[in-house]
Amino acid sequence: MIWKTAWKNVWRNRVRSLVVIASVTIGVFASVFSIAMMNGMVAQRVDAALDEEISHVQISGMGFRLNNDPQILITDRGKTVSQIKTVNGITGMVERTIISGMASTASKSAGVQIIGIDPEMEKKIFTLNKTIMQGTGDYFEKESKNELALIGQDLAKELNIIRYSIDSTVLLTLKMQEIPDEILDKLASLSGIRFANEKKFNKTINSLLSKREINKYGQKIKKEAWSFREGSRLTLTFLDKDNNQVGARFRLAGIYDVKNTMFEQSVVFVKDADLKRLTGIKENSFHQIILRINDIEQTEKITSELREKLPDLDVMNWREIQPDLAMLTDYVHQIYAVFMVIILAALAFGIVNTMLMVVLERTRELGMLTAIGMNKKKVFSMIMLESVFLSLIGGIAGMFVGWIVILLTAKNGINFVKYAEGMEAFGYSAHVFPEISAGFFIVVTFLIILTGIVSSIYPALKALKLNPVEAIRTE
Amino acid sequence: MKVLEIKNVHKIYNETEVQVHAVDDVTLEFREAEFAAIVGPSGSGKTTLLNLIGGLDMPTSGEIIIDGTNLSKLKSSQLIDFRMRNIGFVFQAYNLIPVLSAKENVEFIMSLQGWPKIDRDSRTYELLKAVGLSDRINSRPAKMSGGQQQRVAVARALASRPKFVLADEPTANLDSKSAAILLEIMEKLNHEEKITFIFSTHDARVVKMAHRVITLEDGKVVSDEVRE
Repeated sequence: MIWKTAWKNVWRNRVRSLVVIASVTIGVFASVFSIAMMNGMVAQRVDAALDEEISHVQISGMGFRLNNDPQILITDRGKTVSQIKTVNGITGMVERTIISGMASTASKSAGVQIIGIDPEMEKKIFTLNKTIMQGTGDYFEKESKNELALIGQDLAKELNIIRYSIDSTVLLTLKMQEIPDEILDKLASLSGIRFANEKKFNKTINSLLSKREINKYGQKIKKEAWSFREGSRLTLTFLDKDNNQVGARFRLAGIYDVKNTMFEQSVVFVKDADLKRLTGIKENSFHQIILRINDIEQTEKITSELREKLPDLDVMNWREIQPDLAMLTDYVHQIYAVFMVIILAALAFGIVNTMLMVVLERTRELGMLTAIGMNKKKVFSMIMLESVFLSLIGGIAGMFVGWIVILLTAKNGINFVKYAEGMEAFGYSAHVFPEISAGFFIVVTFLIILTGIVSSIYPALKALKLNPVEAIRTE
Repeated sequence: MKVLEIKNVHKIYNETEVQVHAVDDVTLEFREAEFAAIVGPSGSGKTTLLNLIGGLDMPTSGEIIIDGTNLSKLKSSQLIDFRMRNIGFVFQAYNLIPVLSAKENVEFIMSLQGWPKIDRDSRTYELLKAVGLSDRINSRPAKMSGGQQQRVAVARALASRPKFVLADEPTANLDSKSAAILLEIMEKLNHEEKITFIFSTHDARVVKMAHRVITLEDGKVVSDEVRE
């Protein structure tokens, strides 16, 4: 009867209850969706780091990681590989040669890490081959007698390899993307001009279009205006195994886009055989062996086993290589909980206010209930249940709306194209796919019930302090 | 059989600098199935005496003993439980729970006492029929007249078969026709259920129907008349 009465009391003042429920719904929806966005961003960042950049475990010679000394090599390949194979849970393995050097074009140069890879083997561990920008080459498929290189989008921009121009094809493509004619007319005035780099192109576009037009169409225009000439040359200079400076011209066979500015600016991939030949490193020697494991939860266990079996080598897992990622995955749920608690605490004040009004309005009725024998525990429970119902209805509605919006947006993601540059500078993709686990909804439900209970304490205590004789006399 | 004893009860309020002797040395006894009216002018102490009898307020001195239990000896939580099990209340302003139907209002106390549903239902139907509201069991108070609401309140007060029912001016807010119907019902239930009714009133019709009339003046019992 207490549950039934509490439920009916919720709807006694329908408008007021609906206002509270709406505020809880909006608050919970906003938090659930924001957390799903954050969660999606973090999950994408972790996946990208593991799938495109570092994988799960890296093994190198002692001191190589600190000094980048090309002479610190894993030389006994056969023994090392056979030891690795005795550890369960490893699903893939690639070997890499890594040299620090300089990448140069006719106009610019930049310090880079040159990584020698076997493209076929890399495809089994990394998904880098899937990040090659359309029309920039087919590094992972191409057989060539020439030395081939694969560079990041940001390095290509820095070295002026990517150029910008507006021609009739670009204008036509933009027209098909429903860019207004007046903007196309303005852009047409740039026909025939080639911009050597993004900075110059941006400067011209900024003077040509209004801020609003740039905000709305700038990214689309840039995306269509860039061009890259396949087969462009890139000179890589580095030290060989005897510390002699060597250099070679590599033909560009692809530009990758992993949405991580630092990685794209600093890592150049070449064929391992080419790098070994140029540096004089023996065929069976490597700087690094990279491993993929089938269960990320087993990372620490596998790392320990490998350390035992390979005591002379430096074994590092992804948590140690990128502690920022480890921290994200370890503490992200606590961060979500704190975020959720702050939102619910704010909503709790609204519920407390409403429940205080409820107690004030029902002074006579609460006095009557005490008079006829409803004990303090039951009065407290009734007020508490009303508060829990209010918060739970709003909470469930908020979670449901959040779940629907997550489902709708998870398929195609949300593209924060305007903020792409800033987000990618920190390694986060601007194209976010919100995601959330079922367990999260259970935790939120628990927190909402707790909010209802906590919000009811003060009003319920007020109700308990009512003197039935005075309460009944109240008009 | 005695159901209620009031022994030398005083109630003094110190709300202002002047002490107010609301109930002054009252000693009374009530037996099973009495139909008693407490009358007197405004401020004579009728409501205060009913509050003391109902355990809603505590006497300054003296004892109130219900079926052998001295109310002054009970803790606050025990007193609430005691009220629930032994005393029925009918208030001047009906005081039904507005969100509940007539049926739910009547069965509320039985539910608090943990009666099984089947027993609750049969007792509720029996009482609503007795007060002439068997066709309004699902109506909420707002859809009923004042007289009908007060009849539901009487049914609620009797629901858990209390030792006695206290009614504070039950007809004060009713028109004469509704008041007459209510009084007839109360008298009938008093007779059928053998439950003592004690009510405070100004209403001459109520006084006329009472089997015992206790008159208060300035907190003192000035007469206690039992009628045949």
